[in-house]
Amino acid sequence: MGGEYRMIALFRVDDRLIHGQVILGWGSVLKPDRIILADDEVASNEWEKNLYAASVPPEIKVSILPLPETAAQIKRGIFDTERVILLVRHPKDVVALMDLGLPVSEVNVGGLHYREGRAKVLDNVYIDAEERSIMRELVKRGVILDGRAVPGSRAVRLNSRVV
Amino acid sequence: MSDEKQSERTAGIVVTHGKLADELVRTAELIVGKQEELYAISGSDLCDENVIDRIRGIIVRRGDMHAIVFVDYFGGSCCINSVRAVEHEEGIKIISGVNLPVLLAFATKRGTMPFEEMVDHIIRRGRESVKMIDL
Repeated sequence: MGGEYRMIALFRVDDRLIHGQVILGWGSVLKPDRIILADDEVASNEWEKNLYAASVPPEIKVSILPLPETAAQIKRGIFDTERVILLVRHPKDVVALMDLGLPVSEVNVGGLHYREGRAKVLDNVYIDAEERSIMRELVKRGVILDGRAVPGSRAVRLNSRVV
Repeated sequence: MSDEKQSERTAGIVVTHGKLADELVRTAELIVGKQEELYAISGSDLCDENVIDRIRGIIVRRGDMHAIVFVDYFGGSCCINSVRAVEHEEGIKIISGVNLPVLLAFATKRGTMPFEEMVDHIIRRGRESVKMIDL
């Protein structure tokens, strides 16, 4: 994420949130202490929370928080001594966290899967018109959009592909 | 209906990343012949809703019959979506870590033992099949 929040080793937009690419792909390279799943919907549903929490190996801690609480806890410095992977579902969540006061210089847009109405940008990134305009807003705010699914994928910047 | 009969009509639904599900089913059928009610969902290119809908479609069509959902990786998206798809369903089990011996055990034991016993047997076969070969 850069800036003053260096403990965020990866800030990723992925509509699957916690899954194999995150745990194995990124996790084996970044060796995070914690995964923060920032999503209002999941955070308010005990069943979904348990499902995601059970999917993470025991050596990695998990926090499943609504977006405002995510920003507040990060700003309060609770995770400062850890290496953290921060996950959100949607590009608009990145804007929301920025508006909640988190500075963001780079975000990995690594998993937006095909669904009706979404157009292909990369094999692992499909976006609809709303998502495109939100990503354009992120570009306008100076955020680098990295399109890698996993660390070893070919590096692709999405910035010029969404404007 | 006897327990044995129940397990005979148990469906298998293989849900995996990539094209693994299609190939696992195809390969199992090369060995033990064409299987009834053994479905492959290669899910990683589909969105979550699509994977869940396909699993639910099979379950709903079959009414209250038993089924086993085989997923490739515990904690992966195929696993998570399978858990979502069978929430509140009775008589449906999810087994993670599917491999060829697991599917072969399923194909050959269906109808020979009660459902719960078959589930245990299949898991045991899968575990036994991973070993160092030391001759």
